[in-house]
Amino acid sequence: MSTRVGVIGIGQTPYKRAHPELSSAELIWAAVDEALRDANVDIDAIDVIIAGVAPDALSGENGVEKTAVLGSGKPFLRVNTGGATGSSATFAAADYVASGRAKMALVVGVERMGQATSSQNVFNTVFDPIYEKDFPLTTITMAALRASMSMRVYGYTSRDWAEIAARNHRNALRNPLAHLKLDVTVEDIMNSPLLAWPIHRYEACPMSEGACAMVLAAGDVVGSRSVAWIQGLSSMTDSYAMGDRINRAEGSLVDLLTLELSARRAYADAGITDPRRQVDVIELYSPFSSAEAMTYPALGMCAPEDGPRFVQEQLADVSLPVFNPSGGPQAANPVSATGMVRIAECALQVRGLAGERQVPDVVRAVATGQGGATQFSTVCVLGAEPPE
Amino acid sequence: MTELITIPGRWEFDYTYFAGEAASRFFGELKDSRRIMGVRCPSCKRVLVPARSFCDVCFQRTEEWVEVGPEGVVETFTILTAAFAGMPKPPVVIAYVTFDGADTALLNVLTGLDLSNISDAAHRLQARPRVRASFVDEPQGRITDFTFTLL
Ligand SMILES: [Zn+2]
Repeated sequence: MSTRVGVIGIGQTPYKRAHPELSSAELIWAAVDEALRDANVDIDAIDVIIAGVAPDALSGENGVEKTAVLGSGKPFLRVNTGGATGSSATFAAADYVASGRAKMALVVGVERMGQATSSQNVFNTVFDPIYEKDFPLTTITMAALRASMSMRVYGYTSRDWAEIAARNHRNALRNPLAHLKLDVTVEDIMNSPLLAWPIHRYEACPMSEGACAMVLAAGDVVGSRSVAWIQGLSSMTDSYAMGDRINRAEGSLVDLLTLELSARRAYADAGITDPRRQVDVIELYSPFSSAEAMTYPALGMCAPEDGPRFVQEQLADVSLPVFNPSGGPQAANPVSATGMVRIAECALQVRGLAGERQVPDVVRAVATGQGGATQFSTVCVLGAEPPE
Repeated sequence: MTELITIPGRWEFDYTYFAGEAASRFFGELKDSRRIMGVRCPSCKRVLVPARSFCDVCFQRTEEWVEVGPEGVVETFTILTAAFAGMPKPPVVIAYVTFDGADTALLNVLTGLDLSNISDAAHRLQARPRVRASFVDEPQGRITDFTFTLL
């Protein structure tokens, strides 16, 4: 990266099913105001604004940010890469700063899906209208199709999915911003209603509303501010069609090939050679516990065939990175913002500002983003030190 | 304390999707010949099913048409067990099947499986059973002209 880029401001509303006291513009404003205050800058210092909004229909209007952030006369972009929207928007902001086109960039993601009472119907429209939309293909059944394939190919069990979910829910109890604060056991999770075999309700994300904003700054204007440096970032697309990936030799539907390739490149930029030891925190874009397991090999935590064993390992081995100290998307999934929240949570951990969910002595953290039928993958490495 | 106002909304509109030439031919084959067709990529040689006009990995136009199936193998599946607004009434099985002669898998509904015990049904589908494309009585030239049925 030509110019060093750091996260100097973070604003997050709480995530919950509804914010009845706030319009969507007010929701955005709350997060932006907090991010600007955290960065100790006013809006005049911002050179570009980038908003992340996933399917417009989830907020019931086109361009939900229009009444919130456009008055200040800046260049503006809106990004939609499905679940990766928040991280893609952040990457666009980072690229503006890295290229020298902006000294400071404001990025904001907002989600209002709690009021979209037929959200699964909306999600059906993200699939191919020619060959797929006639089937009950939704975010949940898409995740279930992968989960059952990873059980067959790698030997994961329903208990593995529940154990991962239990850890995420347990972590969320320490996050005041989390939507779900469920004090549940592995058995409770396995006994929760089956949504689509093999996925149970408590292994799936909730429908959350909320907004997240960040201020990214070039190294020469960071000054004495508390900063989380972007040490590496990489994003990569994949063929959309899930059926095209099922028999793919270099990485099947459950191998998350482009997440793996993104991680490899971001790690290289960040100087990470042993991610199991050199990363302290990982915030995953995994709205389902089964989807989390698929990231372990992609992020260099284990060989693909050792995934089920790693489920137990990550619960027991304290030298490994801490996964989702925030609780992750299973505790709050404001879709348009979720990918940004992963980066924001990593930045808070690196800056030592994560409150009750702070992991001690975080030097380096990794945030992932995945969108659509995982045709979009992003990996971002944040650290206390600027990149080499 | 201000009374908080809510404003009801509804987002609904009709739309017409153009299937394009390749999918139109694929659907025509379903309707007129009850055949499943794929296309071979001249570069990676994969037989892509359902048919499309180019390979998005190689960026090559696909012009060679190949009949596949009608039998194949279940690669993965899910059984929708909860009711969601706008979705069909559960339980419903959807599955990706690789037809004999194809390199990619195609999504469709799997019918005719006893779903009185979901766990038993799932166990059966996890064994990668062989299936056949079973056509409806009057195909319309849509992907819903057939379902997968266990052999
Ligand atoms: Zn090809």
